[in-house]
Amino acid sequence: MLTLRDNSPASTSARPRRQVSGRRPFRDNPLLIIVSIAMLVAALAATLSFGSRSSRFSPDFLTEFVLYALSAADLAMILALVFVLARNILKMMVERRRGLPFAKFRSKLVGVLLGMTLIPSVLVLFVGSELIRTNLDRWFNAPMEEIVASANRTAGDYYRERQKLVSDTSLRIATALAPLGFPDAEVTKVFDVIKPEVAPLRTSMVEVYRVVLGRGPRSEVSAVAEMRVPTFPSDYNRVSADRLAERVASGSAESHGFEPLGGGGELLRSAAPVRGKDGGLAGVVVASDYLTGEMAERSRRMTDAYEQYSKLKVLKKPMFGVYISFFLMVTLMILVGATWTGLYLAKRITRPIQMLAAAARDIGAGHLDHRLEPETSDEFGSLVEAFNVMAAELSNSRQALERSTQDLQRQHQEVEARRRYIETVLERITTGVVSVDATDRVTTINNAAVRLLGLGGTNAGMPVADLLGRPELAPLLALIEGAGSGRQDPPAQEIALASEGRELHLAAAATGLHGEGGATEGTVLVFDDITPLIRAQKVAAWREVARRLAHEIKNPLTPIQLCAERLARHFQSAAPSTRALVEECTKTIVGEVESLKGLVDEFSQFARMPAPKRIPTNLPGLLTDTLALYAGLFREVKIECGAPPAMPLVRVDPEQIRRVVINLVDNSIEAMERRGQVVVEVQYAAAERVARIVVADNGPGIPANEREKLFLPYYSTKRRGSGLGLAIVRRIIAEHGGSIDVADNEPRGTRFIVELPV
Amino acid sequence: MSKGLVAGVVLPLVAGLALLVTLGGPVRASDDVDLQVTALAKDGRVLVSFRLTNGFTSELQAAIRSGLAATIAYEIELRRGGTLWFDRTIATSTVTASVRYDNLTRQHQLSRTVDGRGEEPRLTEDEAQVREWLTVLKRLPLFSTKQLEANAEYYVRVRARTRPRVNWLLFWPWDHGAPTGEARFTLIQ
Repeated sequence: MLTLRDNSPASTSARPRRQVSGRRPFRDNPLLIIVSIAMLVAALAATLSFGSRSSRFSPDFLTEFVLYALSAADLAMILALVFVLARNILKMMVERRRGLPFAKFRSKLVGVLLGMTLIPSVLVLFVGSELIRTNLDRWFNAPMEEIVASANRTAGDYYRERQKLVSDTSLRIATALAPLGFPDAEVTKVFDVIKPEVAPLRTSMVEVYRVVLGRGPRSEVSAVAEMRVPTFPSDYNRVSADRLAERVASGSAESHGFEPLGGGGELLRSAAPVRGKDGGLAGVVVASDYLTGEMAERSRRMTDAYEQYSKLKVLKKPMFGVYISFFLMVTLMILVGATWTGLYLAKRITRPIQMLAAAARDIGAGHLDHRLEPETSDEFGSLVEAFNVMAAELSNSRQALERSTQDLQRQHQEVEARRRYIETVLERITTGVVSVDATDRVTTINNAAVRLLGLGGTNAGMPVADLLGRPELAPLLALIEGAGSGRQDPPAQEIALASEGRELHLAAAATGLHGEGGATEGTVLVFDDITPLIRAQKVAAWREVARRLAHEIKNPLTPIQLCAERLARHFQSAAPSTRALVEECTKTIVGEVESLKGLVDEFSQFARMPAPKRIPTNLPGLLTDTLALYAGLFREVKIECGAPPAMPLVRVDPEQIRRVVINLVDNSIEAMERRGQVVVEVQYAAAERVARIVVADNGPGIPANEREKLFLPYYSTKRRGSGLGLAIVRRIIAEHGGSIDVADNEPRGTRFIVELPV
Repeated sequence: MSKGLVAGVVLPLVAGLALLVTLGGPVRASDDVDLQVTALAKDGRVLVSFRLTNGFTSELQAAIRSGLAATIAYEIELRRGGTLWFDRTIATSTVTASVRYDNLTRQHQLSRTVDGRGEEPRLTEDEAQVREWLTVLKRLPLFSTKQLEANAEYYVRVRARTRPRVNWLLFWPWDHGAPTGEARFTLIQ
């Protein structure tokens, strides 16, 4: 057998430990089982031995004790059997309903064993009962009864005949003694009367009593004479004769008596009253006849045989009951034994398997520290050992798995933290990042990429060819494909994208992702918006050009102007025609030089623009003051100004911002050919903390492909002008940390939007 | 429940027990046995008389003739009825009448005890006297009236048990149907 051993600390503390105590249960103790079987066999043997002697039991013992005991024992065993059967049947029903393993097997095993025992036992009981009944009937058959009854009658008749002889003798003597005058009769005469009657073949002894009136109601007697034959037994006791005489003297009807003698034999007595002369009771004669020991014993034996037979006949039914009860008891013992054996075998077979199944369920539920304790070294013991080894290996595997899981969780947390970190970085940086997997599907795309590439919606998961399907994005797609196909990554490239009239310069690089085996697992495309850098480079170049141009041009202008003025003065005295020609030429030269000076001044100003001196400024007021300069200048131009009711002060250089507004308004007026409407509006976006200056006109508008060129130096659509106005505006705005953009105005015209940080 | 268990165990067991009971059969006492009791309070004693009619059955006669000592034990209870509670037993007494028959001398030895006190045995050959001896007891002064309440109603209940027992149910040895009789009397003082 085996027991369950639980090694887990949790189990030992929280759950009841299913450990069997040191004392083994009865069903697992072979010594106890053997002793019990021996006791059962001994009880059976004792019962059978007891039953075989039942015919010698006294009736009272038989009917008052044996029958009670047997019936009580039978009933107790029937109840025990019914209880055991009912309990186990209910238990099996419950087990089968619960679907416990081996319940069906146990019920079948018990049923088969009990059935195999019960059927022959009941049959034996029936057959045995019939045999007992038949045998008992055979005991008391008619010939036997007739024989013992005849013997009894013979013995009784003999006794009765001898009794009658004695009785006749006593009566005869009493009659003969009456004339002697009792109670005062002479003893010698009395002897003379009784002497002829006392002889070996007649009467063995005669005793004569005189009646003496006593003090009580009963009469007393006194022995007068006694005569007996020489062969009369010496152990004779006359007390019984005295008592019989007293009874007769007292008037009792009992005149007979029997007295068994110690040395065998028996005395038959008979008493007769002796009448006195007055007719009253005066004496008593007791005549005794001695039956020899052999004769008396033979008669008594015949009577005893008859009485034994009669007793058995009277007790036939109780004895039948006793035998049947014995039989039933043996049958019940066998049945109880078979039931217990069946249950024991079933439990013995199924319990280890059930415990194995329960332990397997426990282990399946996660209690891997449970162990079964083998108590036998048989196949079940080997099975339990194998089970424990399996459980131990499972426990070790689980511990290793738990450690691996913890490592994985820790790594996962680290990876997750790193992922969140990278994701945050990717979302915050201005560099666009697009990653694709081996199947060319987008796995990651950050906000900067979406913004820079002008994408919208959910892009992760879609094919990169679709994501970058626009023609202007083809270089990026080619870069990704190039990185994914070759062993070496393509070099970083500068890619210019033109979209909606805006030129975007990207510095892009693609890197292939390779696994441990060198297989390509995807590609990462990284690109930066270098448009401001390009612009700054261009502006710097133009500023250098402007500076050099101003330097190189401005220096010779003054001598040219002085030379021209000197020529004009020299030819004052020349012929009028010559003077007129010279004056006209020198005037042209001086005018153009002045024009060149103005141009050079603008270039110089562009090249040496000072850093802005920011002070808190009321932008609406600044705009109102600036636009007031246009009052009355252009009759066909309507200039409107708008501002929010309240907005914070903005730290700007008022003069530079004023110049920005003037340049933008001048451009709008020139674009409208001095006829139209210009709206200048100040807006404040509190959420973005940005102040916007919007200058909108209803002029012809600017084509989209020319909008980016507007802010380049020397680009102008006007017939006059240096083309530096918007370049200076952009530079001022950039120096203030803001931005400027151009868009179409609704329904027509152009709209410049300046954003300044608040 | 397993069909095998039902077919193999329960049905044979029930059938076997039923057959055994049928085979044994009940052995019933004679139904017309009657115990007539009379009680009388007189001279400071409660005199009880009873007669066991038809109690001298053929089975009992056979037992006597077989030489068995036959005894009829009369358990007499003096009780007082209660209205709200069980009847109260005031005193009890046991009277036994025994007979033993000698088949050799053809004499019956009669003996009687009252609460264990024996009387001198008698011998008789008359079976009618034996019947009278066993079944009729007259004016036995069994109880004292000192312990009784005047002008209250009492009753004497007598139960007769015969030994050796000559009637019982097989497998049910416990006594059943012992004849019982009652007699009520009022103690008038």
